[in-house]
Amino acid sequence: MRIDQTQRPWIAATILLFAIATGVYIPYALLTLGGPRGGTALGLLYGALGYSMMLFAGLLGARKKYPIMRVGRAQTWMRGHLWLGLLSFPFILYHSGFMWRGSLTAWLMLLFLIVWVSGIAGAVIQHLVPRYMATQVPLETIYEEIPHVRQQLRDEADQLAVSICGELEQRKMAEAATTGEPQPAVATATLAEIEVADRNRFREVYLQRVKPFLENPEAASELSTPQTAAAAFESMRRLLPKPVHAVVDDLESICEEERQLVRQRKIYTWLHGWLIVHVPLSIALLVLGAIHAIVALTY
Amino acid sequence: MSDAQIQLTIDGKKVSCDPGTTIFDAARMNGIYIPTLCHQQNERPVGVCRVCVVDAGARVLPASCVRAAENNMVVSTNNEKVAKARHTLVEMLMADHPSPCARQRHSGDCELETLAARENITTLRYPRRVSPRGQDDSSLVIAVDHEACILCDRCMRGCDEIKGNFVIGRHGKGYKAGIAFDNNSPMGNSSCVSCGECMTDCPTGALTNKSTVRSTLPGEEIDVEELLNLPYFEKVSGTFLELNKHSVVKRRFRAGEVICREGEYGSTAFYILDGRAKVFVNTPMAHIKTHDSSTGWLKKLTSTLAKRSPETRRGVDVERTRSIPIDAPVDLPLDNPVAELGAGDLFGEMTCMSLYPRSATVVASTDCVMLEMLRNVLDIIQRNKTLRAQLDEKYRTRALQDHLRSVPMFAELDDSFIDVLRQRVELVRYSKGDVIVRQGEIADSFYLVRIGFVKVTEQHPGGDLVLAYLGRGGYFGEIGLLGGGRRTATVTALDHAEVVRIHAEEFQQMIDRYPNIRQSLTQVAHDRTEANEKRLETAVSMPLDSFLTQGLMEAQSLLVLDLEKCTRCDQCTRACADAHDGVTRLIREGLRYDKFLVATSCRQCRDPLCMVGCPVGSIRRRNSLEVVIEDWCIGCGLCAKNCPYGNISMHPIPGTEQGKAKVNYKATSCDLCTDLAEPSCVYACPHDAAHRVEPNEFFKWLGPDAFTEARR
Repeated sequence: MRIDQTQRPWIAATILLFAIATGVYIPYALLTLGGPRGGTALGLLYGALGYSMMLFAGLLGARKKYPIMRVGRAQTWMRGHLWLGLLSFPFILYHSGFMWRGSLTAWLMLLFLIVWVSGIAGAVIQHLVPRYMATQVPLETIYEEIPHVRQQLRDEADQLAVSICGELEQRKMAEAATTGEPQPAVATATLAEIEVADRNRFREVYLQRVKPFLENPEAASELSTPQTAAAAFESMRRLLPKPVHAVVDDLESICEEERQLVRQRKIYTWLHGWLIVHVPLSIALLVLGAIHAIVALTY
Repeated sequence: MSDAQIQLTIDGKKVSCDPGTTIFDAARMNGIYIPTLCHQQNERPVGVCRVCVVDAGARVLPASCVRAAENNMVVSTNNEKVAKARHTLVEMLMADHPSPCARQRHSGDCELETLAARENITTLRYPRRVSPRGQDDSSLVIAVDHEACILCDRCMRGCDEIKGNFVIGRHGKGYKAGIAFDNNSPMGNSSCVSCGECMTDCPTGALTNKSTVRSTLPGEEIDVEELLNLPYFEKVSGTFLELNKHSVVKRRFRAGEVICREGEYGSTAFYILDGRAKVFVNTPMAHIKTHDSSTGWLKKLTSTLAKRSPETRRGVDVERTRSIPIDAPVDLPLDNPVAELGAGDLFGEMTCMSLYPRSATVVASTDCVMLEMLRNVLDIIQRNKTLRAQLDEKYRTRALQDHLRSVPMFAELDDSFIDVLRQRVELVRYSKGDVIVRQGEIADSFYLVRIGFVKVTEQHPGGDLVLAYLGRGGYFGEIGLLGGGRRTATVTALDHAEVVRIHAEEFQQMIDRYPNIRQSLTQVAHDRTEANEKRLETAVSMPLDSFLTQGLMEAQSLLVLDLEKCTRCDQCTRACADAHDGVTRLIREGLRYDKFLVATSCRQCRDPLCMVGCPVGSIRRRNSLEVVIEDWCIGCGLCAKNCPYGNISMHPIPGTEQGKAKVNYKATSCDLCTDLAEPSCVYACPHDAAHRVEPNEFFKWLGPDAFTEARR
């Protein structure tokens, strides 16, 4: 979600609530004997409000599980999650009086800090990264479809290569030669114009330089970056005769699409990776927070 | 031989004939051959080809087919002068003749080419005509090649004098002269009854039989004699039937046997000669739509909180829709979609004429005998006035009432008024491309579509704007009759279409007698006018070619994702799936404009091509924005094929056929979650990235520069 002008009312409300909470806390901290504590009336109020905010923020997960539920637009829930989640931290700090006396509360605060920071990091990531993704991956596809698209790209590249040099594998080449099997239809016109030596050279280039990259685009390769790939394809063009250049151009485009898919996977991981920390720790925090409340109120 | 007989000499042979006999006939009766192209015995001679010229001793060589024999006349049919003139004439005709023409290719008996061969004309001295006259492929049975026409007028005389149909005439002058059907209409759209006379009269390949099929139809072959004895084939040309006898067969079905299945593609129509058949929609009445199929208490709770009324949709006509239109003389009741057909019923017309999928399953109730025919035969028998009258009468007595009442606003018409209409309405047929009403004309009738599809367009300086496609049950003409008295739009037949025409007088009676109908029609007219104005407003404000090219201009509601806000969480897709029984109707992929992605999801097009051809009219637009697929969809997939943007998918659902499990399909497309206040995809987007917008609003977001960066 972008933190843009539409967030102004939420920002204003958050600042206002923070100011009020702080405004109340300062005299409370200064005037209370023995310092502010969670067990005082005001301390309990801060704790209840802070936990309620955390709880509301946590309910976003449930809200997302039931997207068609007409209980407010998901966008409103998300904004609430963001700003109330942010605000909950000072409230809990005011509740604790900036001190954590038992091990549970200490762990709770540590957990909360991690959740809070990871949340802020997530908000920053989701503010910046979608724009980056949009510009860096113009050929973006649906994330789950990436393996399928990659397979299609590999098949397309193989077909292009076969159209120039015939069968790629030695075994199939031998079979085709013995059975007199005709070459693929697409190859007929092109093959006639290309010398056998050039065809073999093309096969070698494709099998040794392009195909390995398409098979495993995340491994280090001269085709892994646009700059080195451009140089590599330029050298291929110099090696190969002109009639093959159009196919080399197509292969270059396929490699570029592969690189974009790799980039998409990486960016997607950034976009959602922080949730691995944020979500389970949030659940743990809510559970432990509830235990802390029960224990504190009971004993 | 009487005294009054004329004596003359032809090629040195003394011959006699009755007064008034032409030289051509006198020669023929005495075994002397004179070549001709424009003349044949059963037609009045006109002497236009002049190939039959002879030397009768005068300065000018007369055409023997029109020159009467005279006493003591000395005629030479083949002297040097005649031979040279004839040779030159044939050479000139051949210069413009596409050799070999269709007839020469198929049967080798083009009279002109045969004559040219006799004259040893192998190379042409004259240049070919520079202004081609073209071909006309509009008739289902006769191919017209104007290029091969030698303007002999044999077809005209055959049509007028022999058959008395008066369809063919001449048009144009000089090199552009040619034969014409009615007022130069394409043959298939003319009043031609496809009797085949012109085709048999034509000496060249200008009018030839379309040899459609060589007996691919399974069934018993029928002799032409037997066909001609059937009442429906009365007055059909025997020649034509002989030429097309493989296009109609007799089929016998045992009780319980399936004659055709809904959703299948076919190319034939059936005419029941004997027996009865049950027609029904076998696909379960179900919809892949927003409804409560939730399991688990929490999901049930959310569904309750969502306050949806699953079976209810907006639109005044929805609850009152009572029948499913099918390709047969009857409609099927919505609550129990079964009907019976009997002897004399014709079904499968739309499949046969326009190659639409079968709209219903037909099973023989008793042992049946039927004629199964291809469209060339169906076309010719439909042009047969006897059968036409019979079918029309059947429609009036049996189906008109149901058809009228299937239109929600006419549901209240009582029997007495329907009786009035029954006698007065006119059933009119149109071929593809025919204009039914033209914008600006005086409105004199109201129309109800009975068969086929029509397109409603409004003319504007920038071009025509498509307002609607109407199928069976659709109606038009009310705005002109209720308003200014002039047509506000042009309506054109998209394929073979038949409409019920209610004249202004009866229409007036109807709205006077039924104030509710008047009120409903006025409301519809008002809504349509308002919607048309809105469409025009949008069209005028969207001049960008690329926008038009991508079809976005056609959209009324685009699902747009702001890629700078979208975190690719797929909540939109998940919400869509949750709202529609787990089947998403959007794919988060599509055209990109700047930072926006136009997702693959129904755009509710202004020109909804998906609606054209639906054999049961289940994809339609109620008087509102949404294109909805009704529960009686038979899963033929035509709408999915027709959608240019790939926004309709076919979803499998379990079903049965004759007690056996079978997978049926239903078409699914975004319905904008009509029973919810806001589309689920937009409502569920937590990042304010998904929006449903009108194209002009989207255009404002983008600014003109964005289009230059449009990617994939």
